[in-house]
Amino acid sequence: MLTRRHFLSGTGAGLFLSGYPVHGFTKNAIKGRIVVVLLEGGMDGLLAVPPIGDDNLFKQRRALVASNPLKLNPLFGIHPNFKNFSSMLLNDEASIIHATSFPYVGRSHFEGQNVLQGGMLAPFSIKTGWLGRAMDIAKTAGKAMSLETPLIIRGANDLDNFYPARIKHSRLPSSETLRLIQSTHLNNAAKVIGKLTKNSMKMGVVSQARDPLSLAAEAGRAMREKDGPRVAVVKIPQFDDHSEIGTDTGHHPELFTLVDRTFGKLKSELKEEWKNTIVLTMTEFGRTVKENGSAGTDHGYGSVGLLAGGLINRSSVVANWPGLSNKDLYEKRDLYATIDYRSICAACLEAAFGLDHDVISERVFLDKTIPRTYGHIFG
Amino acid sequence: MSDNKHKWARKVGFGFGPNELLPTDVESWNNSQLTSNFKSVGVAKRYSDVEIWPQEYNFSFEDRLRRAGEYNEGKKEIENSKKLTSVEKKKRVRTLRDQTDVALFDVYKFWNSAIYGDDMVKQRLTHFWTNHFTVGGGGRRNYIIGDFIYRVIYGNLNASFDELLYKVTTHVGMLDYLDNAESVGERSESARWARRNGKTQGLNDNLARELLELHSVSPERMYTEDDIRNSAKILAGWGANTDSVIRKFYRERRRDNPAIGSLGKFIYEPYFKDRAEPGRKIVLDNKFRSGKKSLRQLTDMLANDDFTARHLSKKLAIHFIGESVNQSEIDFIYNVWKDSKGNLEEIHKEVLNVTARSKERKFLWPSTWMFQAIRFSGSSFLPGFEDGNASFYKAVPSKLNYEPKKILEELGNSFWESRQPDGYSERKDDWVSTEHFDRRIKVASRIYSFQPDRQGEEIADLLDFSDNTKIAIDKASNMRDKFIVALCSPDFMEV
Repeated sequence: MLTRRHFLSGTGAGLFLSGYPVHGFTKNAIKGRIVVVLLEGGMDGLLAVPPIGDDNLFKQRRALVASNPLKLNPLFGIHPNFKNFSSMLLNDEASIIHATSFPYVGRSHFEGQNVLQGGMLAPFSIKTGWLGRAMDIAKTAGKAMSLETPLIIRGANDLDNFYPARIKHSRLPSSETLRLIQSTHLNNAAKVIGKLTKNSMKMGVVSQARDPLSLAAEAGRAMREKDGPRVAVVKIPQFDDHSEIGTDTGHHPELFTLVDRTFGKLKSELKEEWKNTIVLTMTEFGRTVKENGSAGTDHGYGSVGLLAGGLINRSSVVANWPGLSNKDLYEKRDLYATIDYRSICAACLEAAFGLDHDVISERVFLDKTIPRTYGHIFG
Repeated sequence: MSDNKHKWARKVGFGFGPNELLPTDVESWNNSQLTSNFKSVGVAKRYSDVEIWPQEYNFSFEDRLRRAGEYNEGKKEIENSKKLTSVEKKKRVRTLRDQTDVALFDVYKFWNSAIYGDDMVKQRLTHFWTNHFTVGGGGRRNYIIGDFIYRVIYGNLNASFDELLYKVTTHVGMLDYLDNAESVGERSESARWARRNGKTQGLNDNLARELLELHSVSPERMYTEDDIRNSAKILAGWGANTDSVIRKFYRERRRDNPAIGSLGKFIYEPYFKDRAEPGRKIVLDNKFRSGKKSLRQLTDMLANDDFTARHLSKKLAIHFIGESVNQSEIDFIYNVWKDSKGNLEEIHKEVLNVTARSKERKFLWPSTWMFQAIRFSGSSFLPGFEDGNASFYKAVPSKLNYEPKKILEELGNSFWESRQPDGYSERKDDWVSTEHFDRRIKVASRIYSFQPDRQGEEIADLLDFSDNTKIAIDKASNMRDKFIVALCSPDFMEV
């Protein structure tokens, strides 16, 4: 019989201490790379990484547990569709954070996505993103693999997008004309047109595909260049499965395959730079523990975060497991989040950018109380 | 706001084209924009004259379902055929799609109304409300989005907000998009039957949540999960997914069922008593009895809530005036909302009044910007509906021109695409990126290729562009580039 609570080892006062000198940013170009994979719509963390050692899992959601999860430890398994990610776990280059979330319990997609990208406690309270603020301190460039610049990287100085246009019989005018357009704009709009002018002068053929996997491949290719971006944001939408979520097969499992292949693609395209990289997933909330009336799950709270990359030295499942019996659930319906995902993001920033934890907590998340979890993931 | 009528018409409409007469009195123009009955118009060929939109290109809700049914059934037949090769099957399905398409007609109507319509203010309001009540596109829902836009939104612009809210909430498109079609009361007949047969059926709170959060009171109202759950219970029983409605309608039509009348009513009020949750419900301290009528009571209560007036006055102000609108400007709209008890005609009139007095600048959506660029410059970029919309009987599918639909997608601003229920952003930051500007510049260049009457310098003069922008236009080396600089300057992207 398992102990119901499986505590994160090494928690305690040490977590809050920080003996590093504040250096703000490194002068030399940063070596580390961060890829954020945004899982939009709210991924069901209990379906992705089921706590198969918790008997209550089967009582609460009989129909929503994969029949053959890969066993990771006595408590956790992982959905079999995570093939690449599982081998990364075996190679000590991936980790899982469970029962985690940004501190947001409102169950609204829009507020939740704003909180996890803005990094503030209140939604719509800031116009920059946590990653963008960190990039601004670290003086590094980033690329969003989408039409728009997502909030998460806003605030950085050097931003670009990639989402190739399909407008026939049309191309950009000369760089002289682009500079004239730029001269009419101010601030961010002027910066963006400057970047566009630079991009338009680059030679070579780029991929025209716009699916998440192709965009991830393009991100990897750009990031392995010496003067390429150090940050990329890739979106995988459509996790909002209120009905027919799927178990072994179905819509959520198909999305798991896509997430898994995204990890694989990033690794293969980053090549030598994979060793300097950390990839992390983020989702605005988990889903209800019980299934709803239409074989799906509704908006919840705690979910799971998947981390991979050469910056990890030792694989682990980091969790402070809250349990799944009715009395253990948040508002009697959701998995509790016992780890603040901001602390995980902070550790990734520390690993990739070499920023001090205090700088990150004070100047990126504007919250000194965020614990340092670096040692649990990158130690 | 200056008294420049060209600027005014861009603020609340799409601007006056080279052949349009400017109104002598703006106030009476405003009033007639809101209250007159207008006829839809369009051009049959790219360079031909504007004419009345052909009646056969207006589709009733029934027409739409019939055509969707023809596509679904025909596709099945083709795919099950044992004689055809897979290449041939694909070709035939593609032809069938073009022959039965409705969305493309709607997209053409959407463009024609914006570029040639006399009712530009009503069109802008329609865009606002269609976005506020987002029904994401894709799949068979695209057959009925035009019905949502033109019959429900445009058709109720002068109604009271409670009327609009109820009609939007009970439209098949909305009930399908936000999963209410899947929601079944846990103590309903249907759920009890399912339990006896080892199946589960239950509530899905997606529509209930967005009804409160996005469509009416907003999270400021501090409602609870119980309020959402009880709203979901009131909504249970409402809705059928688009495909099942299409199937049902198509079968009945084919059989020529004499009971077609009742089915006709059903598609306008798709309610299944056996899925409804019995018993009383409490939402925001108000009690609701069981039964079909309780939904109207719920939407009426939400529509008349003070927080709804606050939320929507602000949203309207941000949409038309700009994102840094003052609280006092919002309050004018809010006061009219309260005094008129949510009469949209009165509210819209006040939106125009406040917008006229404001000095704020609004960064336009890419689609609004594009329609204005085409209308104001007099470009013939839009293909004619005959070129693009080969009708069912004279279809030459290979000739169909999908560009108007695709350009909206490329701009990231199409009502026929799948998207999040909170709709398109009102914030400038969300529309500024290298890829967004890449598309703006390319689209401006495309617009120039179709003989605009107004060139870059004339546009700058008529709209009082800044000296800085005029210098940039002057420096551009040819007429095309001058045009592109003018349209892609902040002076045209904002108004």
